[in-house]
Amino acid sequence: MFDDLSLVFNYTLFRATLRASTPILYATLTCILTQQADILNVGVEGIMLCGAFTAVAVSYFSGSWLLALLAAVAVGTVIAAVMALAHLRYKADIFVVGMAVNMLALALTRFLLQKVLGTSGSFYDRAIVPLPRIHLALLDGNEVLRSLFNDYSLFEPLGILLVFFLSWLLYRTVWGLRLRSVGLNPLAAETAGIPVFRRKFEVMLYSGVVGGMAGAYLSLGYSRLFAENMTNGRGFMGVAAMFFGGGDPIRSWIGCLIFGFTDSIGSRLQSLGLPPQFILMIPYVATISILALAMGRKMAAQRRARSALK
Amino acid sequence: MSQPIVVMEAIVKDFPNVRAVDGGRFDLRAGEVHSLIGENGAGKSTMMKTLYGLYAPEEGRIVVRGRSFEALTPAGAISLGIGMVHQEFMLVRELTVLENIILGFEPRKSGGRIDFAEAEGRVRRFIDDYGLHIQLHKKVNAISVGEAQRVEIIKALYRGAEILILDEPTAVLTPQEASRLFEILKTLTASGKSVVFITHKLREVMALSDRVTVMRQGRHVATVDVSATSIPDLARLMVGRDVFLGVSRADGGAAGDVVLSVEDVFVPSDKELSKLRGVSFELRRGEILGLAGIDGNGQSELVEAIAGLRPVEGGRIRLGQGEIQNRSPLEVRAAGLAHIPEDRNARGLNRAMSIEENLAGMAFRRAPLSRGPLLVVGALRRFARRLIETFDIRPARPEAPAAHLSGGNAQKVVVAREVDEEAQVLLAAQPTRGVDVGSIENIRRELVRARDRGTAILLVSADLEEILSLSDRIAVMYEGQITGLLDAEGADEESLGLLMTGGALP
Amino acid sequence: MNKSSTLSTLVTVVVSLLFGAVVVALLGHSPAEAYRELFRGAFWGRFNFGGTLERFVPLLLTALAFAVSSKVAVFNVGVEGELYLGAIAAAWVGAALTGVAAPIHIGLCLMAAMAVGGAWAAIPGALKAYWRVNEVCVTILANYVAIYITSYLVGYPLSAGTGVPQTAALAATARLARILPPSRANSGLFIALAALLVTWWIVHRSTWGYKMRAVGENAGYAEHVGIRSRVTMVWGMVFSGALGGMAGAIEVMGLYGYFLDGFSPGIAFDGMLAALIARNDIRLVPLLAFFLAALKAGSLGMERFTGIPKSLVDAIIAMFILLAAMEGLFLFRRGARGKEA
Repeated sequence: MFDDLSLVFNYTLFRATLRASTPILYATLTCILTQQADILNVGVEGIMLCGAFTAVAVSYFSGSWLLALLAAVAVGTVIAAVMALAHLRYKADIFVVGMAVNMLALALTRFLLQKVLGTSGSFYDRAIVPLPRIHLALLDGNEVLRSLFNDYSLFEPLGILLVFFLSWLLYRTVWGLRLRSVGLNPLAAETAGIPVFRRKFEVMLYSGVVGGMAGAYLSLGYSRLFAENMTNGRGFMGVAAMFFGGGDPIRSWIGCLIFGFTDSIGSRLQSLGLPPQFILMIPYVATISILALAMGRKMAAQRRARSALK
Repeated sequence: MSQPIVVMEAIVKDFPNVRAVDGGRFDLRAGEVHSLIGENGAGKSTMMKTLYGLYAPEEGRIVVRGRSFEALTPAGAISLGIGMVHQEFMLVRELTVLENIILGFEPRKSGGRIDFAEAEGRVRRFIDDYGLHIQLHKKVNAISVGEAQRVEIIKALYRGAEILILDEPTAVLTPQEASRLFEILKTLTASGKSVVFITHKLREVMALSDRVTVMRQGRHVATVDVSATSIPDLARLMVGRDVFLGVSRADGGAAGDVVLSVEDVFVPSDKELSKLRGVSFELRRGEILGLAGIDGNGQSELVEAIAGLRPVEGGRIRLGQGEIQNRSPLEVRAAGLAHIPEDRNARGLNRAMSIEENLAGMAFRRAPLSRGPLLVVGALRRFARRLIETFDIRPARPEAPAAHLSGGNAQKVVVAREVDEEAQVLLAAQPTRGVDVGSIENIRRELVRARDRGTAILLVSADLEEILSLSDRIAVMYEGQITGLLDAEGADEESLGLLMTGGALP
Repeated sequence: MNKSSTLSTLVTVVVSLLFGAVVVALLGHSPAEAYRELFRGAFWGRFNFGGTLERFVPLLLTALAFAVSSKVAVFNVGVEGELYLGAIAAAWVGAALTGVAAPIHIGLCLMAAMAVGGAWAAIPGALKAYWRVNEVCVTILANYVAIYITSYLVGYPLSAGTGVPQTAALAATARLARILPPSRANSGLFIALAALLVTWWIVHRSTWGYKMRAVGENAGYAEHVGIRSRVTMVWGMVFSGALGGMAGAIEVMGLYGYFLDGFSPGIAFDGMLAALIARNDIRLVPLLAFFLAALKAGSLGMERFTGIPKSLVDAIIAMFILLAAMEGLFLFRRGARGKEA
């Protein structure tokens, strides 16, 4: 039993957690951006999937990871623009738009996989150039240090930087203050002379950029192939982590780490023949509990404020 | 006094189906407090939102410091030095006080960063100059209403306001907070700012302002110096009427036993002045008790508390033999209560349903409209036909959607459903608000008829003429308490107006 | 649904199909042939038509589940989870019980599935009714929890022990008969159609349905006439969850004969979209569910005979949903400002 546990919990868990949490982190950042403008972007899954496909296809044909990344970002932005147009201009329910985009992405990538790359299921080729990895030669000597800190894909540390950058943007800059006010009280923003519609549209586009990056990382950093439905719910996990953190980048990142952690433990337990499911459901149950408790507290506070007895 | 810095002339503003302001007039001089008074719906707020640029008027002219405009925008108004503190605060509750104040006009450092130090310095200056104590780093949802209002005032000053419009600022304040606000306004005018003060509380007008403009039904009635007027004069100008819709007040004979008694009741509310703090009265069989008062003084809360739609934190409500406070609406209705709610769109009707389904809102639970869990469609239709005929509801098609009903017919559906319950007690809240003249007569006649059958009716209305023409006794509510109880014979508009605006009878 | 929105839905259908035709033409195929094969693939012969029916049943039930919850103003994104839980409950009852007459056994399986689905849906319903917790968040999350629960059950206590994560086969008495062999269409179709009728009847012809609609359409009105809106909301969700559970049970009892881990590729999400396009009108739900089922089934035939990938049809469906969601897009001037201020 003790041997089993040490197989599950050891230093390699650090890296596994970080690696598993990164795709979710990019998805979370995608929906935090829009959530700050009070738009629930459930289309992350679809944006990511299209980004992942574009990245693999462009990388395969051009041999350049940079071009692949740019193409994925461009595709993500275009999809987000369509969503923004449908939701903001044509008053479509954002939830329906998001679900339709997910469905469209699944079908379209499957279709293009067949038509452009001539295969179905998944596509792998040595000609696919992945995102670069960061190799520090001085860590090579020590097995533990090497495992912990070396050879990360470019986007893994970048994702963490993005968390802090977004946090800074939201809480320290004029742009962030105005964006948050648009999401929290559009009328107050309007009376302060802030163009609400334009702000929402703008932030949807940025969300498309991050969503495209998420896809590119998934297919060129996390793995080096494209497979049908390869996002496999990670977009929704991103939404869940965003709920977990209440739209705050750092707290949502913690949510992502919990997802990555439970995912890593889960797969190790499974390889030992132990049921991983209860571990895997922890982040979801935790998020539901957090949501419920927060609302319960809010309602109690409201009741106190309304009382006639004080 | 100097030249006026704001002149508004012949302002006309239409909303769908209603002309909110019709030939509105207003002018403001530097350094004065100018009160704008009138009943709810008199067009006060609309006038001032036009000045602040939230509405574009259909006709008229706005002159600010000699520059003439057909219409303004909020950004334009702000740059002209106009600031407004809205009735509903325009604050982002989840942000800090400081962030709220600087929103849209943030001092910047390089890289688009907010210069919080600079911002705080600027805001502190206003705090010190005008004695506006606020906590800059708390979130707005953690501060009191009075403090939030001071935040709104500082926000306007921070944006460079020389002209400050306050829309019913005392409606949300306790008396202590209100007197503090008056101190602040005096400091402001002493330093040359001008204040527009929208209210319907005449004591405040007399205590605070230099001049006062009275509006009624969208029209300008009078502008007078406060030194040349009195509370009774203003009350008469404010509630004076043009038309008298007559249902002659046939006496219902002697009132019978007490059927509803409210004893020392405390009820919560979102608004400070709408909280009920110790309300007591009795309602007798076969009488109409009119409850007069300006909207927002706790009448709605009282009605909802009796109907079981709002919790009661203290005191007792008896209906017939039993106590009904904090019972479910269904239990209260079963004990013998029917209720015409004040807002027919929020409560009275379900616009997504048909006319017959709305009429059957109570009766669908019983035979013959239902048998067990089954609705009996034929019985439902017969039931609806009968009420449609009795109450002259048009269109007379039971299956027509309620969304297609005009205001008057929609209200007749509500009245028909509730009156047909033949309950011991009928709460009638604003039963003729927004209803055409023909339907008004129809509805009033039904109320009197119900009274004559022995129903005890609590009639809540902001329309004094309605109260005076229907009631046997009249109670007046002000700031969550009953401030007067009179016999209908002894009451007139002047004395009621006085009680409603916080005055006392001589 | 009023006339102008029916018209705009029709326009949306036509635009989506035209778009598909253009893409087909660009790929060098004949659009007429593609659509003919699509039609044949959905309706021609027992196998093809059976394929449409087989897809129609879960789509109908999950769309119905979503429409029912929307009657009490709850946006139940959790039907997928209810479907999974209902499926495994039916699989367990179907395999564990033996020696019971078929109608009773089938009834017990369905009841177990509906009870489990309903109980599961009551949780987000109660959280929304009593604590105002956003049900979209909760149900999205609850889906994962439900799927993990079934995954655990099928992997461990209920595993058939074959290496594949599936339960033991159901007893023959718990299987639903195939009605159009060799297709997998089964007598679950009649159960689903009965559920449709009963649901319509409950919502529009019973006192409970009156209460549900009142709560969903105007909670203030509902409270005013003495309807306990919170209780009604929770029971509305139980109703919805029971339909979701029934959908899962029929998949197990009619299609597979056992519970397979992760068997649903998001059926309930397709159902939800069908309900959304039908604007939750129970009379239109079966039409849209059938339309989507026929497109999905027909695309297989189209792929086989023309070489056009069936994913193109899925893309067209998604396009159609996207366009249908944009209320402002094909709204005709006359109806556009119908709402009274």
